[in-house]
Formats: sequence, structure tokens, C-alpha cells
Amino acid sequence: MDNIFGQYGVLLDVNLSTKEIKKTPIPKEDLKNYLGGRGLGMKILWDRVKEPGMDPYSPENPLMFMPGPFSGLPIPSSSRTTIITKSTRTSPKNKKYPHSSTISYANMGGFFGPEVKFAGYDGIVVTGKASSPVYLLIEDDKVEIKSARAYWGMGTDMFDKALIEKFGKGYQSCYIGPGGENVIPYASVLNTAARAAGRGGVGAVMGSKNLKAIVVKGTQQPKLAQHKKYLELLAKARQAFRDDKEGVEYWRSGGTAHALESSSDNGTMAVKNYREGTFKEIEKINTKAARTQIWKRDFACFSCRLACKKSGFAKGAYGGVIHDGPEYETGTMVGANLLISDLEGLNKIIAICDDYGIDIITTGGVLGFLMEARERGLIDLDFLDGIDLKWGAIDASIDMIHKIVRQDGVGKLAGLGVKALAEHIGNGSEEFAIHVKGHELAAWNVNTRAERMMITYGTANRGACHLNSSSPTRQNHNAMQDSLGACSFAGAWYKGDISYRHFIEAITGVEHTDEEFAMIGERIFNLEKLFNYREGFERVDDQLPERFFKDAHTYGKGEGILATHQDFDNWIEAYYKERGWDLKTSKPSPEKIAELGLNFTV
Amino acid sequence: MTHKESSRRDFLKKLAIGGGGVVLLGKYNFLFGNQPKNGILKAIIVDFDKCTGCRTCETACSAFHHQIEIEGEMLNGLGNPKLANIQVYHYNPDVDIPSICANCPDTPCVNACPVTPDPITGHKAIFRDELTQSIRTNHSVCISCGSCSRACESERTGVIKMNSISNHPEHICDHCGGNPQCVMNCPYDALSFREVDVDGTYFGLSPEEIAEKLFERYYAGEEVVNG
Ligand code: SF4
Ligand code: SF4
Ligand code: SF4
Repeated sequence: MDNIFGQYGVLLDVNLSTKEIKKTPIPKEDLKNYLGGRGLGMKILWDRVKEPGMDPYSPENPLMFMPGPFSGLPIPSSSRTTIITKSTRTSPKNKKYPHSSTISYANMGGFFGPEVKFAGYDGIVVTGKASSPVYLLIEDDKVEIKSARAYWGMGTDMFDKALIEKFGKGYQSCYIGPGGENVIPYASVLNTAARAAGRGGVGAVMGSKNLKAIVVKGTQQPKLAQHKKYLELLAKARQAFRDDKEGVEYWRSGGTAHALESSSDNGTMAVKNYREGTFKEIEKINTKAARTQIWKRDFACFSCRLACKKSGFAKGAYGGVIHDGPEYETGTMVGANLLISDLEGLNKIIAICDDYGIDIITTGGVLGFLMEARERGLIDLDFLDGIDLKWGAIDASIDMIHKIVRQDGVGKLAGLGVKALAEHIGNGSEEFAIHVKGHELAAWNVNTRAERMMITYGTANRGACHLNSSSPTRQNHNAMQDSLGACSFAGAWYKGDISYRHFIEAITGVEHTDEEFAMIGERIFNLEKLFNYREGFERVDDQLPERFFKDAHTYGKGEGILATHQDFDNWIEAYYKERGWDLKTSKPSPEKIAELGLNFTV
Repeated sequence: MTHKESSRRDFLKKLAIGGGGVVLLGKYNFLFGNQPKNGILKAIIVDFDKCTGCRTCETACSAFHHQIEIEGEMLNGLGNPKLANIQVYHYNPDVDIPSICANCPDTPCVNACPVTPDPITGHKAIFRDELTQSIRTNHSVCISCGSCSRACESERTGVIKMNSISNHPEHICDHCGGNPQCVMNCPYDALSFREVDVDGTYFGLSPEEIAEKLFERYYAGEEVVNG
């Protein structure tokens, strides 16, 4: 590739229907304007999905595995891989096409993205559908489609062990479990049996293609534009982490799990299907409890300084599982949100979800919704196929998860998520079906910080997403960060003379002013939005569930606080104005489109 | 009992009886130059309780040993982990094992090398370097037989791999000439450069063997004394 530094300008392009495997050049302009990861994936999605309304399960839906320009370099905490595709989870209120859905991106840490980079690719795109289960084996230039019959049906933990046994040191992999195989719409993709690209149904799309796994080993690294400058930045970045013992220790000692307690105290936690914001039994599942009862070791992703992953081993009635202990999202969604406070039981639910390869956030949302519907008498034991789903019920939760993944009875419906469940049950149940655009909310509750959380969830392009942020500036920044291969948890350290922009300059040689660099994230975010708009998502689809306008928390810091519809309208209009989007339709204005170089979308 | 276990046990037993390297000399074919100069042999020792499997050590080792020339200046490379002398093995259940040359006092690798020692230096194609006390190779006399690699594999850590193109042994830690990059760069202080302790719990073991011990230690509730 001419004059491309820090990247290869090469996409591994695999069609599972035709078995064609080729290297597709990536235009230099796209590398500059979209970097890699989420951004470059979005650009490729736009280029390949030419018409709106494509069925996400159709063979044509491209499934992309994207590292970024940081991937494979030991820049602290740059391990992330983004998986991008057209969503299986979302739908607009007014369906323009039978299969209208948003874009989807899900992000995982670990070691997969760096290895893709070592193999000589800036990304992998898979289209088509294999006639029987396969996996992709990549060893630098050698790429093979192999039979995965022997592995089909294996949970992710057993499969991970099988891959380690078969390939061993030097290979990395990501894969689906039975959730993805059975095309459960909220199936996830995992690597190292615990690190999940959980959201938005990326595992379902992978399963629909009969693709069990991608196994990769590589030996290469691209040449950098300014090697010496990069080394200087790297030394400074390493020092910045070394100097901040306290900041690093926060992650090391608990990671996001620390937020379990603080969020509960602040009334910002999803408790009892978002009815409350504080969990009265929080001390049973907080970091202290996990440290003493469950966590055994701290683990880091590739070249990471934070080691926020905690592997654990529970004893007791639900013991015997060796798996990652609860972090904030998992601990809340299948813990506090269901009023489950038995740490061992909670750990077991997490392990089962990961073993099946299903999104734990959505699973927690679905279980919470069903528990509430049952409590309100909108559904009965018959509806639940005899599963006694009540607040705090661990065994019943586990039974329901089995049913969902096996697509058995009520599990079929529950596998579609809360929006579909509410449509089926009716009787006003949509008011407590906690989703935006069909995608369930994450573990941060809304009422106590309504403006911030409503904009965060309402305007996220993959449907409700806690990592979206509430201001356009932050949202753009996050989109850029997701496009580097960098981890958002370490983002705070990359400021001043070691900001991402400096690294990109040293790695790729492309110079950006601060303004131009900020525009990269804005471009990505708007391109996602334009894709969604073309699918028929408009202002009404940014709306939050009625619960957040009706049900104030009855205790805790958020007690009595409620936003009105008028508040929300004011906030969203201010947001659209700042974005340069049409107030009625939410469409980005022609001026904005032109300014961002997105004229190819019109 | 596997061959490896037996040879390791014999080795430890004999070391205990003989009280160290001096007595073993001759009997175990120690050659001039294999002997620690000042009696202290050092190696990179891992504290497995602290290691998080981040693989920063691999990248630091690789970057230092595979430098590139930029405008006449030799600079650290990008740190491709495949080229490192330290290799971090990952297992499920979660344990990560950085594997490095143990700098064995009795050097099974050197003993296995069939090349006639140089009459002046006493060095075979693989030998203990007097200055750094680390195991070094001399590719110009190496006959690519792989004996060193097999000996290390069957008796100790198994770090030596034959380069797939040159077919010479590689991945043997040289202590970075006394300034171990992996130790300096490990973000979790899991590595130290200190005296070889053949009685240490993990001395000379392969990553699989260490993993077994750590599975027990962390996930079976059985405490194993850390070494
Ligand atoms: S750098 Fe340290 S913590 Fe990371 S893998 Fe190496 S020894 Fe373990
Ligand atoms: S670990 Fe292997 S290479 Fe190192 S001294 Fe022992 S036998 Fe030789
Ligand atoms: S001491 Fe140097 S050569 Fe040895 S493993 Fe560490 S970095 Fe590599």
C-alpha cells in the first residue's frame, strides 16, 4: 500500500457462501477519516449495505471484526476490538421496512484485535453464510475455512479450553456459544471465555452465518510513520500511569465493580427493573464481598495497566464455577435489578450467560421485566411455563435462561427482548419495558440524573447504550476512542502531550489539528445516525420508556425526582440543535453533512 | 512417573547431596564456562500471584532485542511479542504463565549439545557466557540438531525453540546484558532479577506444569507454597 503507515490498508474479506477469501484494499482516505475500529467498520457497513431495510440475518449483512491503529502496539490499555454489523435488536416505532434496524457495534477487550493486526489486517469482514458450521483459521496470509462440526453446541468455556488445547500459545480467538448458534437475537461474541462483545446481537449475526469462531495468529507489524516520536510518547504514557498510583489502583482493586456501591448510594443503580435506584442489600455484592468470597486473581488485557478483570471461584450451593466475578454491569443487571443478593448465585448466573454467549445486560433486563409483569399479574405461571420467576429467584432465573437459549416455550418470546415481550403481553406493560429503539438499557438508572441519562440512552446509535455519553462532544470523543482500539477506562490518562491525536500522528503520519481530530468522532457518530435515519429512525425513537416519567424512586437519593415530558423535549431539542440536526425528524442538516464530508450519503 | 519428573527429581536430589555445582562438575559434564563465576547465578523470577497476563514483558523484551535503525540511530522496535525471549502462556481456568529460561545451574541444554567445545573458550554452540552468566548461542558452529531444545523441553522449561528459518536455537533470555527490560516494564512488579533457586516451587518447570500448580492454588482451594 502506498505511503500508508501504522496500518496495512488491507481488509480480510471472507464470503462464507462462495468461500471466496480475498484482501480488499482500504482507501487511504477512509483510514484517515475513520481511523479503524468502530469508525472504519461503520464506513464499510455504509459502503456495503446499499439499501435500507436489509434483514440483519441475511447472508449479505457484513459482520466486521475491527482492531484499530493502536492495536498490537504496547500502548497501555489498547486491547479493544469492535464488532460491527446491522443490528438484530433494534426497530423504529414506525417501521419503514419490515427489517428496519440500526447499526450495531460491540466492543471487547482481551487479545483478539492485536492478533488480527499481527496477522497483517486492519480488519476482517465476513459476509455470506456457510452451509454447515465452520470456523475461520488465519495464520498471516494463510486463511482457511474449517469445519466446526466437532465444536458446535459447545459452551464458550469448554470451547475456549478446546481451542487452547488444539492451538496453544500464539493463537487468539473469538467465538459464539449456543446462544449465537441458536441465533438468539441478543447473543454475544466472547474471547478468553469471559471478555464479551456483548451488546447489539453481534453473536446472533455470527451464528446466522454458521460461523463458530475466528482463530488467528500473526507475525507482522506495520511500519510507523514517526518511530522515534512514537517511542517517546509510549515512554511518557507508561510514566503517566506509573505516576498515578491511586488512579491505577482504583481499577486494579475492583474495576467497574467499585461502582456497585457508589451507584447504589447515589441512587443511580438499576434496581427492581429500574423501579428503584438504590439496592438495600448492596453490601452483599460489593467489591469487598467479592474480594473475600469470589475473586481470586486480577487479569489484564493486552498491554493493559489496569487489570480490571477478576477471575473468581465460588463455593457454596452455587459454587464450583470458575469464572469472572461480577463487575458493575453484570453485578447490577442480574443482581440488583432482579433483587438477587446471593453473590455465589449471581456469579453462577453470570457464568451461565457467558457460557451460552448471551448479552448479560439484556438478559437482566428481560428477567426483570418478566418478574415485574408477574408481580403485577399481567402474566401467570402458565405463561412462564411453570417457572416461578419472582424477585430474587436465582433458580428460576437460571431456568428461564436455559429456556431462552434452547428456544423452548416462553423462552422463544423472551429471547426476543423486552420490546417484543411487551408487545405480546400488552396491558400497558410497555411502560416498564426498559429499552430504547428495542435495545435494553444498561445498569445505570435514569431518574436521579435524568437529563444526562435520557440523552445518553436516547441518542445512542446502537439503541440504549450507557457508554454513549450525554454531550455531543463526549459522544464524538467516545466514537473516536472506539475507533483506535483504545480502552475507555484508560482514556483519562491520554491528555495533553500524550493525547490520542499525538499518537495517531506518530503512528500514521497524518497530521490533524485538534479541531480536525475532534471532527473524526463527529463524522463517525453522524454517519451512524444517517444510517439509522435511512432505516426510518426519527425523533420519536429517541424517547425513553414511560417508567422514567411516571415512577419516582420511593427511597434513596433519587427519591421523588421525576422528569417531565416537557423537560425531555427541551433537553433533546437542545441536543439536536448542538448537533445540527432537524428538530422534527432528527436528520443531520445538509450543512452538517457537507461539513463532515458525508455527502456520499445523500 | 514421566521421564521429566524423574530427571528433575534426580537433579534436585543430587544437588542436595552434592551441595551445589562444584561437586557436580565432571560428573554432569560441566565444562569450563558453565560454572557460575562468583557462585551466584541469576534469572528472571516470576511472582505468579502478581502477574496479570498483560504481556507487556513480551513486548518490552522484543522491542529491546529487535531494534531498528532510524536515521542512523538504533532504536527499540515495535515489540512484536512473537519475537520475545519471555513468552506468556494463557490457560483456562484463568492463569497466565510468563515462561523464561531458568538459567539452570546444571545446564541440560548445554550438556546436550554435541558440538566439540572450542579448545580455548570451552564453548559449544550453546554455552554459559562468562560475563553475563546467561546461556548464549554461537550460530556459526551450531549444527541445527535441536538437541538443546529437546533437552530443555524434556527436562526444564522448554523455552528454547528452533528458529523456523535459520533452524538455530532461540528465545533464550540474555538478561538484556544485566538490565532486564521485562523486569523494568512489568506494570505489576511481577518480575524480578535474582538468584536462581533450584528449590523454588516453580524452578525449571514448563508453563503447563506451572499452570497445573496454579489451578490447584487458586481454584481448588489448596494452598501451595509460593516459590
Ligand atoms: S508484564 Fe508482568 S504482569 Fe504482565 S504478563 Fe509480564 S510478568 Fe505478567
Ligand atoms: S531453562 Fe532451558 S535454556 Fe534455560 S538453562 Fe535451563 S535448560 Fe537451558
Ligand atoms: S531479561 Fe531481557 S531477554 Fe530476558 S526475558 Fe526479560 S526482557 Fe527478555
